[in-house]
Amino acid sequence: MSSPAAALRLARRSARRHFTDPSRRRGLLVAFEGPDGSGKTTQRKLFKTWLQSEGYDVVTTKWNSSDLIKPIIKSRKAVRALSPEEFSLLHGADFRHRVEQVILPALWDGKLVIADRFLFTGLARDVARGLDLDWVLKLYQPLLWPDLVLYFAVSPVTSGKRVTATRMPSFYEAGQDVTEVDDPVESYQRFIARVIREYESLSLIFNFITVDAEQSIRDQHYQIRELFLAGQQRPWSTWNLDAVAEWRSLTGARR
Amino acid sequence: MAVAHRSEAVKPPPRPVLIAIDGVDGGALMAAARTALGGPGRGGISGWDASGVFQDLAVADAGAGAPSARTLLLLYAADLAFRLRWQIRPALAEGRTVVAAPYVSTAIAFGRAAGLKAGWLTDLFRFAPRPTRQQIVLRRAPDRIAVKDGFVGFGCDRLNWSSAAGTRRQMIAEIAAHLRRSGRRTGTPRPRVRRSA
Repeated sequence: MSSPAAALRLARRSARRHFTDPSRRRGLLVAFEGPDGSGKTTQRKLFKTWLQSEGYDVVTTKWNSSDLIKPIIKSRKAVRALSPEEFSLLHGADFRHRVEQVILPALWDGKLVIADRFLFTGLARDVARGLDLDWVLKLYQPLLWPDLVLYFAVSPVTSGKRVTATRMPSFYEAGQDVTEVDDPVESYQRFIARVIREYESLSLIFNFITVDAEQSIRDQHYQIRELFLAGQQRPWSTWNLDAVAEWRSLTGARR
Repeated sequence: MAVAHRSEAVKPPPRPVLIAIDGVDGGALMAAARTALGGPGRGGISGWDASGVFQDLAVADAGAGAPSARTLLLLYAADLAFRLRWQIRPALAEGRTVVAAPYVSTAIAFGRAAGLKAGWLTDLFRFAPRPTRQQIVLRRAPDRIAVKDGFVGFGCDRLNWSSAAGTRRQMIAEIAAHLRRSGRRTGTPRPRVRRSA
C-alpha cells in the first residue's frame, strides 16, 4: 500500500504531463452560468450542435444531475426539508460526484464538456441564502476551473418575467425557505435579485465573460462562437492539478 | 408579603451539555452513548444518519458510481447539519444533555485516512459547535466492522477504492490511529479499548 500522499504526487505528475502534451487534443471545459430565465439552456443546445458540426466530441452535464445524489436532493426538496446548510452540502456532494464520474473522465479523454451551471451556481445561491462565501467555496475544493465561463446576464425583472410566463417557480427556486414570502412569484423576484447580485460579484472575482442575455438568441449564439474560438487555445490551468490528481489517485490511475 | 424561599430564588437554569463520542464501531458508540447519558429523562442521543441520507444512498442504483471519500463526507456533513437542527440544538436550548455519537472527529479521521487535507475537513465542519466533552471509543480487530455498524463501516464498504487506499482493514486501522491521535491532542480521556466478540 503506497500512502495517499505518495499516490497524489504521482497523480499530479501524470496529470500535468497528460494535459500539457501537445500531441493530443486536450479536453476543454466550458461553463454556462446565469440566473433562471437567462436563456442558458437554449444557448447550450445551439452551442453543442455547432461544436459537433465542427468535429468536437461533446459531453453535457447539468446542475443537480448526478444519478447518485439527485434522488436524495429531490425527495428532500419535495417535503421542503432542507436548511440552507443542508441544501448547500447536498448540492456540493452532487457536484463532486459529477466531477469525478462525468467531467474529469471526459476531459481526460480529450472531450469538450459543457456544464449547464457550474460551482458558481452553488456559490451565488448559497450566499444569497445567507451562507458565508468562504465556507461555501471551500466545499467545492479542490477547485476545477473551466477554460471559459460564460455568464448570461439579465435583470431580475427579465428573469422573473421569463420564468413566471409559463410556470410557477418551485419553493427553493423562489427562495421561499429564506424570504418567508408566501407568494412564490413575489418571493422569486426578491430572491433572484439577491442571486444576481452575488453572480455579479463572482463575475468580477472570477473573470466571467459576460453575454448580454437580453439580446436576440441568434446574436448571443454568434457571440458565443467567437468567444469560444478566441479562448480555446488558452493553456491548461495548473490550478486544476489538485482536482485532477485527487481523481486520478481515486481511480488508482486505471485510466 | 410572602418571601420566596432562598433555595427557590437562586435555582440556576439547567446547563446544556454536548458530549461527543467518536470511534469506528457504530455499535460500540451507541453503547458508550447510553452509558454517558446515564439514564432516561436526562437528555437524548443523536445518532448517525438521522436524516436518512445514507439509507437512501444504500439503495441507490449501482450504476450511479461509487462515491469518493470527499462525497461521503459532504453527505455526512449534511446529515450532521440535520442532526444539529432537529436534535442537538433544540435539546441544548432546553438546557438538556445531548450525546452525539458519532460527531465530528469520526468524520475527520475518515477523511484523513483517505488522504484528504486536515484544513479542508476542519473548514467543512466549522458549523458544528465544540462539544463540552469528548470521548473516543475504540476496540480491537476493527476489520470485522460490518455495514450495520455505523458511518465508518458503511463508508468503507461504499467507497470508491483505489490501490493507494489499501484494504478495508488498513483503512479502518488508519481511521482508528487518527482518532487516537486526535484524542491525545484534545486531551480527551484515554480511548476505551474493548475486545471484539
